[in-house]
Amino acid sequence: MNRWRQSVGEIQARQRQVTECERAQVALSKVTACFQQMASSLGSDSDGSSLREELAETRALAHKICTGLHRRLLALLAEGEQGQEREHVERMWVFLLTGLETFQKDLKKVGSLQEFFPLTQRKDRDTLVKTGTSGGALEIAARVATIQTPWLAVEDDQIPDMKTQISKMDSLMQEMLQRVNVPLWSVEAKQEAWVEDIKDEPDQDETLEEMMQVELVSQEGTTSNCCHHPRCKLGCILCLLN
Amino acid sequence: PVCPHSRVEALMLEMQDPASGVKSQTQRLVITTIPHALSGEPRLPPASRPLWRRHHAQAFGTVMVAFGYIYPLQDHKRLILKPDASLYRFQTPYFWPAQQWPVEDTDYAIYLAKRNIRKKGVLELHEQEQYNNLHKWLNHKWDFIVMQAKEQYRAGKERKKPDRVVFDCQERAYWVVHRPPPATVSAMEQGMLRLVDPNEEEVNRCIIFTQQCIMRPRVKSSVSIGALVKYTTTYKQHDPFLAPCLPSSPWLTDDATYWTLNMPNVEVPTKMRVERWTFSFGELLSDPRGRDDFRLFLKKEFSGENLAFWESCEDLKWGTAATMNEKAQHIYKTFLARGAPRWINIDGKTMEVTVKGLKHPHRYVLDAAQTHIFMLMKKVRRVSCVRPCRSVAVPASRRRPSLSPIVLRQQEEEQRAKMAASGPVDITQLCRFTAPVPHLAVYSGFCQSQATASPGVVTLPNSAACPSPISVAIDSTPASERRCDSHGGPGSNFPSIVGSREATSPAKESQTPTSRPRATLSLSRFLRRGCAASSVFASLSPKCGVAAGSGRVQPLGMEPQTLSQPRRSANFFQIKVDIPPECRIYPIDSEDEQESPGSAKGAVKEIICPWESITKQDGAG
Repeated sequence: MNRWRQSVGEIQARQRQVTECERAQVALSKVTACFQQMASSLGSDSDGSSLREELAETRALAHKICTGLHRRLLALLAEGEQGQEREHVERMWVFLLTGLETFQKDLKKVGSLQEFFPLTQRKDRDTLVKTGTSGGALEIAARVATIQTPWLAVEDDQIPDMKTQISKMDSLMQEMLQRVNVPLWSVEAKQEAWVEDIKDEPDQDETLEEMMQVELVSQEGTTSNCCHHPRCKLGCILCLLN
Repeated sequence: PVCPHSRVEALMLEMQDPASGVKSQTQRLVITTIPHALSGEPRLPPASRPLWRRHHAQAFGTVMVAFGYIYPLQDHKRLILKPDASLYRFQTPYFWPAQQWPVEDTDYAIYLAKRNIRKKGVLELHEQEQYNNLHKWLNHKWDFIVMQAKEQYRAGKERKKPDRVVFDCQERAYWVVHRPPPATVSAMEQGMLRLVDPNEEEVNRCIIFTQQCIMRPRVKSSVSIGALVKYTTTYKQHDPFLAPCLPSSPWLTDDATYWTLNMPNVEVPTKMRVERWTFSFGELLSDPRGRDDFRLFLKKEFSGENLAFWESCEDLKWGTAATMNEKAQHIYKTFLARGAPRWINIDGKTMEVTVKGLKHPHRYVLDAAQTHIFMLMKKVRRVSCVRPCRSVAVPASRRRPSLSPIVLRQQEEEQRAKMAASGPVDITQLCRFTAPVPHLAVYSGFCQSQATASPGVVTLPNSAACPSPISVAIDSTPASERRCDSHGGPGSNFPSIVGSREATSPAKESQTPTSRPRATLSLSRFLRRGCAASSVFASLSPKCGVAAGSGRVQPLGMEPQTLSQPRRSANFFQIKVDIPPECRIYPIDSEDEQESPGSAKGAVKEIICPWESITKQDGAG
């Protein structure tokens, strides 16, 4: 009787861990996506010290998630019985590996951009590229703040240095590839190829082409160009009429 | 700066300068207005470069657009700078092209998935195709890709509308540059990775190499296919995958006897193997066992240096690049220079070309000479196989474990070292009365077509001047035809193993020798004339004696036929030598061969390679 209860307890504990990892996966995607959005403003005229601070915090968060997820997945794999559950864990393992690769790429880019556009002096701002954006740090930072990971409270709070982080991720990936024998290609994705609309975004889902429709008011004649989009029949008709 | 295109980036930054940079306008869209749009009208040249003219500016502007530093707001798929009022914008540095930030397919998949998530059916045809492809081969990453696409989409929506538009434009422009639509000219195909100075040494060598590649001779496919057909016809019985092999195919029965019997340094070669030697000269040479026999033969016939040269050329071709110079020098000193100890006889033109090539030695510098020597050696007639072949049906009890390849290799090395240690046969010492005459081949063959052999006199080691010539039948026909010939020359002086082979191998028929006129004097006839060379020839094929008495020889196949072995005393190789009377070579006793060459070498001068002397003369420069 005792043994049976124990194994149920084990199974439940394991299930909890797996769910934890799944949530961490979602968090990792979120954090890396936000990181990319912020990084796209680097070197532009919306760059600034606040943006860079936010970037640093975001990557620290990502680092925590990555290392925590890695440790837990490793433990789950080590327990490894075969079967559906193991497949699931392997899938998460490959997910983590891919995420690490992508994030590390972004990190390197951000590192070199920050070097290329140092903001230490006032006149450095003159060379920032005028890209037309007005700043994006705040909104994204708000989104980052909503990310939760179960083990966040437990770990320490130091933000690692950029280079250290990159090299740590390098070694992490190396270790993942060498230590655990999970061939990447054996993992079958659960997602389909052509993913439909996201259910929680029902309205105002415009394509870029629609958003890029140019205003057709033309007194000086400079802005009467159509966007040339093939679906823009309305615009074309108006052009003709003009 | 970090990025390799530093000039362009520097210019980009200059253009930002509020005072001297480019003037920008505001783009008015239906939903919003976005600042910092540039027009393509020719006001671009910044103040710092007053010498630029308009078309230069436009060309350079187009380059910037093509590489993705500036992107067009309208007509976004054509990456050119139009000198009109169309609008452009600077690309954000995150999306700048740079070599050290490789463009990954994973990112492209995420981008396409993102666009697809927004609204289905928005991807263009080529994008759809690529998307499907990516789904196929990035399948294991697909979970991540889809999730990341969703998250990026959501994160993008958090931003203010104008910023969102700008970001989407930037991203779209980035991918137009790096994954251009089909049938467009992409700067990425050439520009970024071609930061090469065409005058650099390495590039020069590349260019020369490519030019030489182009100059190499080519063959029509009909010809090469014909050769392939011929090859398969000849060899198909010898391939254990295509035809059953004896004793049994190791791949099927797990019995490794077949491999044991066919090891490179086996003492007694199998019948099939010997038959392969008759296919072509190259076959003989490439089989180390066959080469051994041939070498032995040539050694006694005084043309060992040819084979040695051929082997050195092979060594050069396949050896490591580091040793190439050294090897080339060694070969020159040993074989090619005037007065070299193992001088080979190649015609003047080839010699000239080779020596010239040796100034800048590369792997194939000796190709011409090697081919020449190969042809020379090929003109050695192989008549019949006297070699006793091992019976293939070795009882299991006598099976020995096969040697490991490491041991085999060691044996090879030892053998090679032994041969090297025994020293080269110094032909200058042996031919005391005549130095090798450059314009005459020692063994000059003549073509099939010649009906008569010019009488020549040659003396062989250990023989008194023998009046009867020995002629080498020139035989450059392929194996299938030669097999007819191998049934023996004139007369049946060669009770050949072919007779026994006929019984078993279906491919051969007993044919009378073709009507090729040949003044071949068979060796056995020569021997019977009582020249004192019989002892030499007997020593040429040490296996002959073994053949006579050994009971090991059995034909391939079921019937244990007794062969008429004892009469077989002729050599596997028959040579025909044709030398005009004025050139005679009187070699010294062959025993001198065995002596160490050092003792006789006193008068040999040191040979200097021509390029060495040239560099000495060069001095400064």
